[in-house]
Parts: sequence; C-alpha cells; structure tokens
Amino acid sequence: MKWSKKGCVFSPGQFKTELSGMVYAQSPQALPIGNGVRVYFSTRTVDSSGKFLSHIAFADFSRDFKEVREISRGTVIPLGGLGDFDEHGIFPIHICKIDNKIFGYTTGWSRRRSVSADASIGLAVSRDGGRTFEKLGRGPVLTSSLYEPFLIGDAFVIRVGEVFHMWYICGKRWIESNTSDQPERVYKIAHAVSKDGISWAKEGNMIISDAIGPDECQALPSVLEYNGVFHMVFCFRDAVGFRSEAGRGYRLGYAYSTDLRTWKRADDALGLKLSGEGWDGQMMCYPHIFSLNGQVALLYNGNNFGREGFGLALLQSDINEHVKL
Amino acid sequence: MNKIFNWIKQGRLFDPTSGQSPSWMVQFAQSPSVLLFDDQLRIYFCTRGKADAQGQFVSRIGFIDVERENLFKIIRISKSPVMDTGDRGCFDEFGTNPVSVIRCGNEIRLYYAGWTRTESVPFNGAIGMAKSTNGGETFIRLGLGPVLSYSLDEPFVVGSPKIRRFGDTWHLHYAAGQDWIYKESRHEPVYRIRHASSADGVEWKKTGEDLIEKKLGPQECQASPDIFYRDGLYHMFFSYRYATGFKSKERGYRIGYACSSDLLQWHRCDEKAGIDVSAEGWDSQMVSYAHVFELDGKLHMLYQGNEVGRYGFGLATLAE
Repeated sequence: MKWSKKGCVFSPGQFKTELSGMVYAQSPQALPIGNGVRVYFSTRTVDSSGKFLSHIAFADFSRDFKEVREISRGTVIPLGGLGDFDEHGIFPIHICKIDNKIFGYTTGWSRRRSVSADASIGLAVSRDGGRTFEKLGRGPVLTSSLYEPFLIGDAFVIRVGEVFHMWYICGKRWIESNTSDQPERVYKIAHAVSKDGISWAKEGNMIISDAIGPDECQALPSVLEYNGVFHMVFCFRDAVGFRSEAGRGYRLGYAYSTDLRTWKRADDALGLKLSGEGWDGQMMCYPHIFSLNGQVALLYNGNNFGREGFGLALLQSDINEHVKL
Repeated sequence: MNKIFNWIKQGRLFDPTSGQSPSWMVQFAQSPSVLLFDDQLRIYFCTRGKADAQGQFVSRIGFIDVERENLFKIIRISKSPVMDTGDRGCFDEFGTNPVSVIRCGNEIRLYYAGWTRTESVPFNGAIGMAKSTNGGETFIRLGLGPVLSYSLDEPFVVGSPKIRRFGDTWHLHYAAGQDWIYKESRHEPVYRIRHASSADGVEWKKTGEDLIEKKLGPQECQASPDIFYRDGLYHMFFSYRYATGFKSKERGYRIGYACSSDLLQWHRCDEKAGIDVSAEGWDSQMVSYAHVFELDGKLHMLYQGNEVGRYGFGLATLAE
C-alpha cells in the first residue's frame, strides 16, 4: 500500500481544557459527524498519588483535518466508582454507530497489587450525539474467562449482516523482566461475536500469528472492509525493553481476512514505516483505520505512546492490491 | 417439610487450632463441603496458616476424612493443599475460598472463589473451577482464568459458589458484589445471592436477579447459598450479616433459610432455619456457611462457628 503521511494533526499540549495539564492524546478513534470528523482520544491527568488516570476527550476536525473546530471541555464519560473495573482510567474508547445509536466500548483499568493493573471492556451509549456517554451498568460486558485470564481491552466492533464482531486483546501471561522492576504483560488479539452488541461469545484468541516470537504483544486491532476483504491494522511490540530499547517499541502490524475467522498476516504489505525523524520517527502505535470522504484513512500515535499527539495518513493505492485470494 | 427445621447440634467436628494439623492449616476451617466415599466421608474446607508481615492471609483448600459411621472420628488430615494458588496476575493469586465440591459420574469437580489484591479496595474475587483425576486428592484448574466473572450488573466480588446438578442442568448459586462501603477506615463489600445455570458446568448463563430479599436493610450481605431438594421443594440455607461491624456477635453471620419450587422464586423465612448461635462455646457468636447433606437416610448440616470459622466447624443432625 502507498500512504501519504499528513503529519501530526493534533498535539494535546496546545489546548486548555478542564482536564488540566492535559498530556497524551492516545488511541484516536474517528466518528464522522456532519461535515466534520470527531476524534475521540485518551488523555491523562495525575491523581493524588502521582499516578496517571486516563480520560476520554474529543476534538472536532474539518474533513480535511486542517482545522480543529472544537475540543471537548471535559471528559465524555466519568471513571468508575470505588472498586469498579474502570475506576483508574478509561483507555481507549471505541465508537460504534449502529442504526443512529452511538455506542462507546471502553477499556476500563483498575490497579492491582502484584501486577500494575487489570482491564475489562465496558459499554456506554450516547444520547446527545456523542458529546457524553452513559454506561449500561457498573460492570463490564467482556472480562476475564477460563482461557483469557486478565487484561481484556481494546475493543473494536463492526456489524456484518446481523452479527456483531468484536476484535479485542486478552492477556496471556505476566513475565519477569530484567529491564523493569515490575512484571511485564503479554497480550494477543482475540475475537468475539454477539447478536446484540451487549452479550458476547468469545471465539478464540491468538488469531493473528506472531511476527517476533511468542512474547509479541499485539494491541489496538482496527478493521475496515473493502470489496469483501477485511483489513486489520494493529500495533505490536516486544514484551520487555519496549520503553527504552530501539527496535523493541510499538510498530504497526497488518493482516487481512475474507471470512472474518482466518487472518493472513502481512506487515510488509501495509507499507507504513517510521519516519526518518520527527513525531513518528521512533514509534507508531494505536492505529485506527476508517473511511474518510471515500478514501482509506489511518489515525495513529507516534513517539512515546502518543504523548505528542496523533497524526493522519491517507491511502494512495488500492487497498486490495496485494490480496491473494 | 414446611415446618421449622429441628437441628440437633452434635458439637464441633474439626478445630484447626488444636495443634494436630500442618502449618498451612493452623486457623480457620471454612465453608465445609462434603464428598461421599463408600467407606468414609471427605470434608473439604478453606484454611489458613499464619498471617504475613502485613497481617494478610492466603486461604487454601484442604480436607479431612471421617468415618462414615462416626463422623466425629477423623481418619486423616490432608498434608498439602489440594491445589496451589493462582499464577501472578490471575484472579486467584492470593487465595482460594470458599469451596464447593461435587461428584458427577467418574469426575470430581471443585468450584471456588479466587482472590486478588487491588489498590483502591482491598480485594476482588471471581469463581474458578478445577477437576481431580486422582479421587479428590489434588485438583487441576481448567484454565488460568475464572469460569464466572464480572458483568454489567455484577461489577465485582463474585464468589461464594455452591455447585449443584439437578437433572441435566448445572446450577451455580453464588454471591455478587453490589457496592463498596468505606467506614471506620475499612472498605467492606455488600453482596447478594445470585444464580447461573449451565449445560456443562463450564459455560454459564447468569439469571441476573437478586434471589433473596433483604432483612437487615440495604447493606445486608448474603452468601453461601447451599441448596438441597426434598419433598418437592428446593431448600436453601444461606448466610447473612451486616456489611460493617460484622465481627461482633450482634452484626455477625447468621444462617437464613428460603424455599423455592423452581430455583428462581424464593420465599425467605429465616424463622424456619432452626439453627442459631449457642449460649456459649465455639459457636456462640456466629453461625454461618451451612452445608446440608444426606447420609444413610439422615440429613446433616456442617456449619462454621465464631469468627467466621477461625476455630472450625461443627455438625448438626435433623431430628425427623
């Protein structure tokens, strides 16, 4: 694929909102509204113990992404209450518009003692066109189970015919690391189906083959269908050393499928690499593929897991060109 | 059987503090659960060693074997826990408690609540499952994760499983957290009795209803829904207490009773339970975690006493 990088389109530091000291604009998720595009993202505040809390905010862009028209003044969804799965952060939110209803699939975080955190997937609905979201319940719609013991998150949902499909990630194990005083996690992309988008049946995990060995961490699957082919863009990294060592951090991965079950991994076909320098010169992560003005577009984060904001790339070639059926 | 149960207390059956058990079993013998063998009765329970430097416990599952003819005659005490605690980051890393064991054909299954430690509140729980291939000596988890976990209206603290099979359907009655209360520098959960059913005991469908009405006000905690079927009715002995201050006699666990014809609509009538604290002794402050079983034509109840079973469990027998 041939992409035209449009650069960093949003830097959180240049805006003042109720989320004081806003840093990070992670995991951008697009929702075309009217003649513009709303992009939800996760930003962070610091709590009284000095730890981060992720919150969801949005920025409204013109369709060409050259103009930021509005920034949400505060968060679009409150964090959970005492003991809830999303008490210590929501990151990311995935927006899914079904029959004019706007649903938000959240990844909620809560802190643990022996490991840093656990995560589950929650569901909220917007009744004001996506400005705020109301949770369907205090608990999650998808969480740990027999073979997916922890760290359930990064939901991406589409409806194909009458069936809702969710791609998400699940934790496989925590491993000790020489480069960190905390255990590090290994997580993989998984798949679930549903009739109503609320009650899900898990279909299996490790559906995307590893490119860098069994400790590859895969995150943020996003899927776009074009002429019967489903294209998944995600990001992956090494389980350890990914914060500091060059070559171990997040980069973009790619796979395609025609049956929604079996995926052929083809990272090279994506053709989207780190820039030589600048905001996405060291890392590319948290991709979101979507259709913009009839063109395939990709929002993604750059260096430092999105501390400096998110950028845009537009596809200049036929997305199915490399597909071997 | 629609009258007051006439339980005759037989006394304490097992005291883990009496100095006869291994170091991981020196206090607490909780949630007794019976497995019947031809010539003996095995009683699984949850027990603890000494607290760690932070005053925290890890609860593990062990058993005693007793004579079928004389349940007070202990033949054997398990030397090791029947399974280890969970791996790092797993739902059961910091303990397995309570326990409910069932035999189905050649298979012995164990359902338990697993405990993890969290930052803002002290803990969270979910229900796991394991199987034994050596006659109940040890158990192996089916997977690293739970078989019953959180959902939209059961946000946390899913535990206290009691496994039953009626006809071809597996039934899990359990407790699900509804709120956390912060009082006098302590976090305490409020939980209520819930139900799920399954064709295989692995994939569960939650009913999503509170089964037992509250008697002690909005902060009543309900757990240990132990059920048996007799004379055309399902009978549930459960435990209930106040959410806070429950270490006192006045606010601690008692055994309640409810009956149902369909396992879904329950009629609570604690006055029929027929078992309460004694005037003095090991069960004079609290009684809880009843487990009713039938043996050679008689109904028996195992239950834990003071300090939620710190000093063991005892036996009561129904006078017909």
